[in-house]
Amino acid sequence: MELEHLKDQWSLIEDTDGVRLSWNVIPSSRLEASRLVVPIGVLYTPLKEKTENSVVQYEPVACKAPCRAVLNPYCTVDVRAKLWICPFCLQRNALPPHYKDIGPSSWPLELSPGFSTIEYKLARPAPAPPIFLFVVDTCQEEDSLKALKDSLIMSLSLLPSTTLVGLITYGTMAQVHELGYTECAKSYVFRGNKDYTAKQVQEMLGLLAPGVRPQGALVMPGQHPQQRMNPSSRFLLPVQQCEIELTNALEQLQKDPWPVANDKRPLRCTGVAMSVAVGLLETSFQNTGARIMLFAGGPSTEGPGLVVGPELREPIRSHHDIERDNIKYYKKAVKFYDTLAKRTANNGHIIDIFAGCLDQVGLLEMKSLANSTGGHMILTDSFTSSMFRQSFVKIFDKDAQDNLLMGFNASLEVLTTKELKVTGLIGHAISMNKKSTSVGETECGIGNTCSWKMCGITPTTSVATYFEVTTQAGPVQHQQQGPQKALIQFLTYYQHSSGQFHLRVTTIGRDLSGPAGDPSIAHSFDQETAAVLMARIAVFKAEVDDGPDVLRWVDRMLIRLCSRFADYRKDDPSSFRLEKNFTLYPQFMFHLRRSQFLQVFNNSPDETAFYRHVLNREDVGNSLIMIQPTLDSYTFDQPSRPVLLDSTSIQPNHILLLDTFFHILIFHGETIAEWRKIGYQDQEGYENFKELLEAPKEDARELIGDRFPLPRFIVCDAGGSQARFLLSKLNPSTTHQGTTWGGVPQNAQTIFTDDVSLQTFMEHLMK
Amino acid sequence: MRSTINAVPTTNSLLKKSKLPFALIIQPYTSLHDEESPVPLVSDTVISRCRRCRSYINPYVTFLDHGHRWRCNMCNLTNDVPQAFDWDNAQGKQVDRWQRPELNYSVVEFIAPQEYMVRPPQPLVYLFLLDVSFAAVQSGLLATSARTILESLDRIPNADKRTRLGFICVDSALHYFCMTSDSLEPNMLVVSDLEEPFLPIPGDLLVPLDECREAIENLLGKLQDMFHNTQNGGNCMGSALKSAHKLISPIGGKIVVLTASLPTLGAGKLELREDKKLLGTSKESGLLQTANSFYKSFAVECSKSQVSVDMFLFSASYQDVASLSNLPRYTGGQTYFYPGWSAARSEDAFKFAKEFSDHLSAEIALEAVMRVRATTGLRMSTFYGNFFNRSSDLCAFPAFPRDQGYVVEVAIDEALGKSFVCMQTAVLHTTCNGERRIRVMTLALPTTQNLADVYAGADQVAITTFFSHKAVEKVLSGGGLDAARDALQSKLIELMVTYRKELTGGAVGGGLGGLQFSSNLRGLVVLFLALIKHVGLRKTAQIPTDLRSAALCLLSTLPATLLIQYIHPRFYSLHDMPEYCGLPHPETGEIVLPQPINLSSERLLLHGLYLIDDGQTQFLWVGGQAVPALIQDVFGVPGIEHVKVGKTTMRVVEESQMNERVRNVIEKSRDKRGRNVGSVVVPNLYVVRGDGEPSLRMWAGTMLIEDRSDGGLSMQQWLGMLREKVSA
Ligand SMILES: [Zn+2]
Ligand SMILES: [Zn+2]
Repeated sequence: MELEHLKDQWSLIEDTDGVRLSWNVIPSSRLEASRLVVPIGVLYTPLKEKTENSVVQYEPVACKAPCRAVLNPYCTVDVRAKLWICPFCLQRNALPPHYKDIGPSSWPLELSPGFSTIEYKLARPAPAPPIFLFVVDTCQEEDSLKALKDSLIMSLSLLPSTTLVGLITYGTMAQVHELGYTECAKSYVFRGNKDYTAKQVQEMLGLLAPGVRPQGALVMPGQHPQQRMNPSSRFLLPVQQCEIELTNALEQLQKDPWPVANDKRPLRCTGVAMSVAVGLLETSFQNTGARIMLFAGGPSTEGPGLVVGPELREPIRSHHDIERDNIKYYKKAVKFYDTLAKRTANNGHIIDIFAGCLDQVGLLEMKSLANSTGGHMILTDSFTSSMFRQSFVKIFDKDAQDNLLMGFNASLEVLTTKELKVTGLIGHAISMNKKSTSVGETECGIGNTCSWKMCGITPTTSVATYFEVTTQAGPVQHQQQGPQKALIQFLTYYQHSSGQFHLRVTTIGRDLSGPAGDPSIAHSFDQETAAVLMARIAVFKAEVDDGPDVLRWVDRMLIRLCSRFADYRKDDPSSFRLEKNFTLYPQFMFHLRRSQFLQVFNNSPDETAFYRHVLNREDVGNSLIMIQPTLDSYTFDQPSRPVLLDSTSIQPNHILLLDTFFHILIFHGETIAEWRKIGYQDQEGYENFKELLEAPKEDARELIGDRFPLPRFIVCDAGGSQARFLLSKLNPSTTHQGTTWGGVPQNAQTIFTDDVSLQTFMEHLMK
Repeated sequence: MRSTINAVPTTNSLLKKSKLPFALIIQPYTSLHDEESPVPLVSDTVISRCRRCRSYINPYVTFLDHGHRWRCNMCNLTNDVPQAFDWDNAQGKQVDRWQRPELNYSVVEFIAPQEYMVRPPQPLVYLFLLDVSFAAVQSGLLATSARTILESLDRIPNADKRTRLGFICVDSALHYFCMTSDSLEPNMLVVSDLEEPFLPIPGDLLVPLDECREAIENLLGKLQDMFHNTQNGGNCMGSALKSAHKLISPIGGKIVVLTASLPTLGAGKLELREDKKLLGTSKESGLLQTANSFYKSFAVECSKSQVSVDMFLFSASYQDVASLSNLPRYTGGQTYFYPGWSAARSEDAFKFAKEFSDHLSAEIALEAVMRVRATTGLRMSTFYGNFFNRSSDLCAFPAFPRDQGYVVEVAIDEALGKSFVCMQTAVLHTTCNGERRIRVMTLALPTTQNLADVYAGADQVAITTFFSHKAVEKVLSGGGLDAARDALQSKLIELMVTYRKELTGGAVGGGLGGLQFSSNLRGLVVLFLALIKHVGLRKTAQIPTDLRSAALCLLSTLPATLLIQYIHPRFYSLHDMPEYCGLPHPETGEIVLPQPINLSSERLLLHGLYLIDDGQTQFLWVGGQAVPALIQDVFGVPGIEHVKVGKTTMRVVEESQMNERVRNVIEKSRDKRGRNVGSVVVPNLYVVRGDGEPSLRMWAGTMLIEDRSDGGLSMQQWLGMLREKVSA
């Protein structure tokens, strides 16, 4: 029961601080830490929505430079001396004058234990309202383009009226629409096959010219004069001001007019369009919150960043092509988009990629655009799909104060007490190359810095941060009450969509372990978080290393963890025992090995890029679903119950509900499917059958409801072709020679292959 | 078609001995519109041509063999007469071949059959390149241009409803306009990438006037508002031209450039190279040549793809007319120059709008080639005018204007045995209504072995026209202004020496103040002086390069009649003109002009009123002591001190006959139609007061070429010099 208690506690902490740790007790020596196998890591959700209001309207009290740690419940405050001691650098700081009356009866919020996470609404307003720049591919079929136009027009009503919006369209060429021009539709055209430098883009848009004379008619009351003079304001205008022009421009949008031969793909200059978009924002809106939303209807076939040639007979690269290095454009394209991504991230801007195409659009090559800037990636078959429409709408969700649920231009800084050093971050961010005493020697993910730029951030964005223990010897036990704590402070500075800058501070403290061999460390292991943190490392490695190497690494780490924490007798595999808080971990690893994150060949490179992107932004709970899908079974006269991800779970009179996070699938067993076809559910006397059919749908609806991006929803029957989605996720324990997938043997063995393989690992290990 | 000599020497040596040039002055059209000068039309597509020399059958051929065959008057080959000459197959009846226009008229036009077409006749295309930089918007050029085009939409030839229009606005970027028949709103597409021209969209940039009329009107109505706030001082006209070429070249047609600034960006960019210190020196002629090879090579590109360029230039400062005028020169276009133009001056606005509108209304021909054939023994050696000389004797005109003249020098390669020679000019073209036609002009001249006949038949107008072209050619090819003037002077001396030696036996004395010259050539003495003192050639440090370049353009394109006036202006005394002058002739109804007087300031009386008119500019000169009554009558103001000098429009003074007559004279002097030439030019009228603004007086004074001025010889000095040289 102690584990359940711990889990409740962790969950509570996750709710208040948005953190979950792989180890909740910090080893007090480097040696001890090195034996943990799974690194100390924190999965942190910086903007996690909090139930109680912890946003304060005053400036934070910070430690002297270079520390700059923010006053928090772990600080020692000497009320009489009007001092506080920073736990990170141990410096003494004077309390600000207006804190003179604080005391145990009236602590400011940030010193109250319940406010280990607090958000400051800073006095600094953002230089401009949030910016949304749509980049729309016009090489699309009419219906798809129409659906996209409708979604975009609809989205204007979801944006706060002061939001600045702009439009770029592209096909053979890229067009920047000058929404501020009222005489007629006007746009700047860039050729699609040319790599424009930032300066060229700015020159060609007239952004460097010493000014278009402000037009009297455009002066809005209350507008800042600087804003009016800003040359970009011809292209980016408050939605309230240009809604008509933008709606018109969108409605007028037509399929790219350049002719396309039968044996050709349309020319699509995604690279130029994006580089123009980035260039447009770069001049006038550096470090101002902005989203560039790319809506791609197909792969780039023209200019810099092209991912496939225009010849139809030339197929787009597959994982096999990449493995065999049979890739004509890949490296150049990746380099192009990586450079662009870096520029965008440095400008503090976000790039979202929406793909609406049955084929690939080159997400693999473009992934850094979203990954480095905290943008979204939405992969759908078509812009006509509800999956696109609903996911797109969800981006514009608002909080109770009607502010968009997104932060802009964010950065995250990590401070640690001397025992811990941060070794890196895995998530949608880039390094800000900030060195401090908190930076570790080793590197895990994006390391060698204590600060990362995230640009785009939402209440669910979660980053994995990794730490190392640097203390050489065991803890020097001072005469103090209770065990010593290691502290980590997360400082998330971002432009709130309301227009103010905010600083969210989360300070967490974890006990340091006692003398060597302290069992509290093992007890503090959070296997779910550990699995997710390890999954992120594995995926991070997979981006650069060969697949098999990564699998071997996963195996090795698992074996090492087991050999360190399992209890077994030599030469007796059956004696193998793991502590309760470790038992699921091997299972997670087994599924991780089999998951689309590491086994890429069943998916397109674009899908792989997409799956990995999503894994890198979700919290522990959602990530676990991705690693190990959930399967629920429904049958007559029983409440639904989770069942094993195993082919044995397929029963003729059961309905299964599979949730892989990306797919939600309802599978009707053979009998159920037959009855359904006959239509019993609509007949009197079969109400229970109807209810049975409804129950998983109801649950699925609930799952879909708060999922982002919207999962693919599949309803299928035993033997149907769609069933392969389910089968590919199940442990093939019933695979016997001669038994086909469709058939469902009743009394099949229910042995976990991962148990078996784990046994094998152990055997290997023991030898 | 006229010749410098109307009796052709039978041998080259005789021609050489005469020192006279042998050249044809060709002016294929005599008006801007067909209806004003109809030409007999052969519409049955039966075209009989010599099998060998490809000459068209003409009134000078002889019929042989009972009329079954005809002998070519050029090469003597006998050719079959087509059946259709006598028998109409369609009607099934006999016809009289002598009714055929080609056997009756020296100028006829054939409707060409299929084989004269490389491709279906192209539609008329006008692609306007409008300068929208600060200078152009500020001066009102954009507004006036747009309004004029808008108001001329019905005048642009479009009988076949195929005429297409397109618009590109130019500053530091190119602004294209996409127009469709179903959308009223134009869509502006801006291209700022000037490196390699490209079209922003594949279609809808060059649209049928008829179908997209509303969209075009809407655009033209909005243009001024679209750019009225501009601060853009850039001009990338060269890049605009390249892009325009890309857009128009699949069809061919006219690119009309209206620009008020020097193209300083992109392809063909030019520099402010004019240096006042160089004017009047030997280095000046460098400024009259092309500064950037783009303008020649691009012009050749245009010619190849049937694209013609017109330049309307409006800059208040240096615009490099010398370079820009290359495009019209090689593509059958024209350069129009409006220095310091401003729409705020109603005269400027009116002049440009009228000229531009007339220009657009002209029934130009398209995809034209001109070839001159002649009797065996004659060869066309050199061609002058605005076109591209594609092969030895073929001149290519992407568009064939109706207001220009051409000069072809003829060489005598073999002795001419016949009593007369023929020369035939054929212009194969597509009319602006999509008809393929050939205009054929045939000229027959007698031959002679007698030098006296040659001199007696010499045409001083044609000769001056020829030497004017040659002088321009010399300047433009880098020979220099001095050399051009010297060549003119030497030529005149040479002619007079030859005449004296060969035809008068060396006698001294006679008509021209002791100089002897054939009476039909006496005008050459003053015409050559006028040419040497013309703004295009005069030795002076006072003429801005652009002005000179523009003058050279006119000297090399004006039809002979207008050219002579341009060189040697008309000078009328108005205060004392006979009573019937300035009023309609009782029979013809035409206004009667007074007799022109010598271009000498001696004729300017202090109380007089005069008109000096070179066809481009008119000066109304009011003597400094003109009596108030005259002033009151003519200007409606009480005295000379109230007469405003400078560019003006004559106002109507009620109940003043003098005012009406003066206005009539000014108007009549402008009239080109009565003189059988096409022209769009509306001369500027300046009032000059004998006691007023010195610079204006000086300018008008330069037209009085018999005066001594600015280093130029007076008529008296000129004659003295000639006398000296001829008798030496
Ligand atoms: Zn500190
Ligand atoms: Zn012949």
